[in-house]
Amino acid sequence: MPAPATTYERIVYKNPSEYHYMKVCLEFQDCGVGLNAAQFKQLLISALKDLFGEVDAALPLDVLTYEEKTLSAILRICSSGLVKLWSSLTLLGSYKGKNCAFRVIQVSPFLLALSGNSRELVLN
Amino acid sequence: MVRFKHRYLLCEVVSDDPRCRLTLEDRVLGTLVRDTIARVHGTFGAAACSIGFAVRYLNAYTGIVLLRCRKEFYRLVWSALPFITYLENKGHRYPCFLNTLHVGGTIRTCQKFLIQYNRRQLLILLQNCTDEGEREAIQKSVTKSCLLEEESAGEELSDSGGEEAAEPME
Repeated sequence: MPAPATTYERIVYKNPSEYHYMKVCLEFQDCGVGLNAAQFKQLLISALKDLFGEVDAALPLDVLTYEEKTLSAILRICSSGLVKLWSSLTLLGSYKGKNCAFRVIQVSPFLLALSGNSRELVLN
Repeated sequence: MVRFKHRYLLCEVVSDDPRCRLTLEDRVLGTLVRDTIARVHGTFGAAACSIGFAVRYLNAYTGIVLLRCRKEFYRLVWSALPFITYLENKGHRYPCFLNTLHVGGTIRTCQKFLIQYNRRQLLILLQNCTDEGEREAIQKSVTKSCLLEEESAGEELSDSGGEEAAEPME
């Protein structure tokens, strides 16, 4: 008996991920400034509110991990809000009168990509 | 052709207090809308909307306001209008809200819409009015507006009739 004809179905995903993940680090001009996780999130929301108003300050933004020693964090934002978050982080200049800057280390639509960064590889 | 395109937002100021409409001024309303956009959409929204922003027409008796903004950012302005909750003038605060009736590309289309809207509002007022003197006054304005409508339609017909008569003469 001949094998039955197989039917093929092609599914194309344009952008399967609804969220984008950002690895950021906060740098202060002077040393010795500490923030806990709640203050860090408050800083992010106030940056969004400054530039884009109350409507975009309410974007679903999550701080997935936060390290107080290095002031680095992994953020999750919905894909439509990535440009707004990134531009408001760029334009944030100070926290409580002290100069600071956000360094964006890595951005990816997949969280797994943030686990290994070839820039931080140490080659011996 | 290359020109700046605008959107005209036709709004109505609705308030419980009858003194609220009388204190409407174009500069006061303009600053109020700009401050609301700055609060709702931030520095970006305030800068984007205030380039082509103007209060083009204001009627204190009916509370009709015509706002102009650039075509690229009219949605930012439109979405900020529901956040206006009060009108402040000379220290008095009147709670009110802005009801958007029509969005048009030119002042002429907004004017045409406003004429039709006012005709419909006159008929609604006629149904709801209780006083006999008021009823007569409203009926007079309704018949006047109907006559004006027929006149303008008749003028268009007679114009086209004149053109048709001119062609066979040539």
